[in-house]
Amino acid sequence: MEQAQALIILGKAIGAGIAMIGALGGGIGIGLAVSGAVQAMGRNPDHTPTIQTNMILGVAFAEAVAIYALVVALIILFVLQ
Amino acid sequence: MRKGFWDGKRRYVALLMLIAGIFVALRVPPVVPIIQLPGEKYPPGTIELPFGLGVMTNTLMMSIIVWILLVILALYVRSRRPKSGAEVPRGGFYNLFEMVFEGLYGFVSGLAPERYFRPIFGMFMTIFLIVLLSNWAELLPGIDSVGFIEPHYEIVVDEETGEAQHVPTDGWEIYPAFLGGWALNGQCDWVSPEAEAQADADAFASAEQAAEEARAEAELELKQAGGHGEEATEAAAEESGHGEEATASTIDPDARAEEAFREAEAAYVAQKQARRDRGCYTGVAQIAWSDLDAKNFSDTTVEDDHAATEDEVAADAEHGETTDDLAAAGEEPSEENGGEEEEFHVDPNDPEQRKAWPFVVLPYIRSPSTDLNMTLALALSAMAMVQVIGFQALGLGYLRKFFAFENLFKSPLGAIDVFVGLLELIGEFAKVLSFAFRLLGNIFAGSILLFVMSFLVTVMPWPFFMLEFFVGIIQALVFALLTAIFMSLATVSHHHDDEHGEHAEEGAH
Repeated sequence: MEQAQALIILGKAIGAGIAMIGALGGGIGIGLAVSGAVQAMGRNPDHTPTIQTNMILGVAFAEAVAIYALVVALIILFVLQ
Repeated sequence: MRKGFWDGKRRYVALLMLIAGIFVALRVPPVVPIIQLPGEKYPPGTIELPFGLGVMTNTLMMSIIVWILLVILALYVRSRRPKSGAEVPRGGFYNLFEMVFEGLYGFVSGLAPERYFRPIFGMFMTIFLIVLLSNWAELLPGIDSVGFIEPHYEIVVDEETGEAQHVPTDGWEIYPAFLGGWALNGQCDWVSPEAEAQADADAFASAEQAAEEARAEAELELKQAGGHGEEATEAAAEESGHGEEATASTIDPDARAEEAFREAEAAYVAQKQARRDRGCYTGVAQIAWSDLDAKNFSDTTVEDDHAATEDEVAADAEHGETTDDLAAAGEEPSEENGGEEEEFHVDPNDPEQRKAWPFVVLPYIRSPSTDLNMTLALALSAMAMVQVIGFQALGLGYLRKFFAFENLFKSPLGAIDVFVGLLELIGEFAKVLSFAFRLLGNIFAGSILLFVMSFLVTVMPWPFFMLEFFVGIIQALVFALLTAIFMSLATVSHHHDDEHGEHAEEGAH
């Protein structure tokens, strides 16, 4: 019983850890988006508000993928019995 | 006048609240919560939904509060609205609201087609405000940490008899905090009676083993003392670390055994004492060795220990009520919470099992965005409105977006259109999931972050509150903005002259 419990926890922890690899994509995406936006803002600072809004939107999209990974990890950890 | 009074004094209010927070955190140290994804159900006997709608959850409670706040906001804004264009609106909050409103108005008017601007902006603003208030709800102090203190159990159904049984799970002990309220004791994770008994039996067995070993050693010494004379005995005595001069006459195996046993007992009692000093009443602190089949060894020490624990808990209870049993201390919160435990009294098959229950906090309210029910409902209604506006704008032609068969035999690329259309149909459903999980994931993860940070740094988790403040705004904006964008896209047909432009815009999303 004890060992079964330990095995379940082990599996959950490993699974959640692997699921969070998905956050890699989100991180790369956000980095690319922000780098592009900052370059654009540097080129024409007049358009900063527009660029910033669109950047935030794009960042939110990229982040969403990482958040899906997080949701999967959370479900593995807290919902699976 | 009022403004003048508060000028420059708000910072002291903030400082006072910070200090008060530190005091509260020191008096009631945060406990690592038991994290649960679905909204916590209100215990039976408190608030119940009418018409058999099911069980009230704390996220639903907060949703209702958010709706009420929205109604109040709407009435307030309406009442403060300038009667004529010449009148300049005054008032801090109204101005703030108008600023935000105008900013978003300009924002949406840039992307929505003029003809459908009003419904799109209405949907946008409604979703924005609902989601914003829901998200910010996680920042309220006490929102995740103040609530019903409830026994934590799982209902396990016996497969053979079909009987449901309440099985205690993880949880904490509780102690009287202040104002007659109770708090979880983070120092004392709850230990089941079985685990207690097991720990006790293990300690007892190891003490007996130590006694046996000491006895065997002493008998060996006795034998050596008889066989080899004084030197050997002395060496043996030194080896066993007694230091006193041992002769054959002073070696008493029974006394040695008793001594070893007492040592082990003292160590175990000290362990119990340490747990008791932390204020715990379950676990090793509670069980006396008399409960076991102790042989001839008296257990007065431990009995006293046991009694002291009870006295302490009883004295701790601020209303001075004497508690016969530690279990009584566990039941007391029910009286404060309106006796919802009464239902629970009926439930457990075995009243003995109530003697000690692990406790958890069921927060009164929790941010609705941390509940999939709310985010999914919002996403469904948003996407439903997208379809409605699409049909409104294009009539039945809206369906041609998804079932693009008209080009199938006209051009060689017609088959691709079919596939693209079907993909878009799937995309409509994927958007629902994407909406729902984006919001849920962000805010749920945020509230866990706040939980854990409140536990780790206790008195200074506020930088993370700042972070979550912005995350709340951004997620509300993203949800509302995406709805507005999808709505605008639904109003334009694919099969107009600027088909390529449309596709390019599609690709961006």
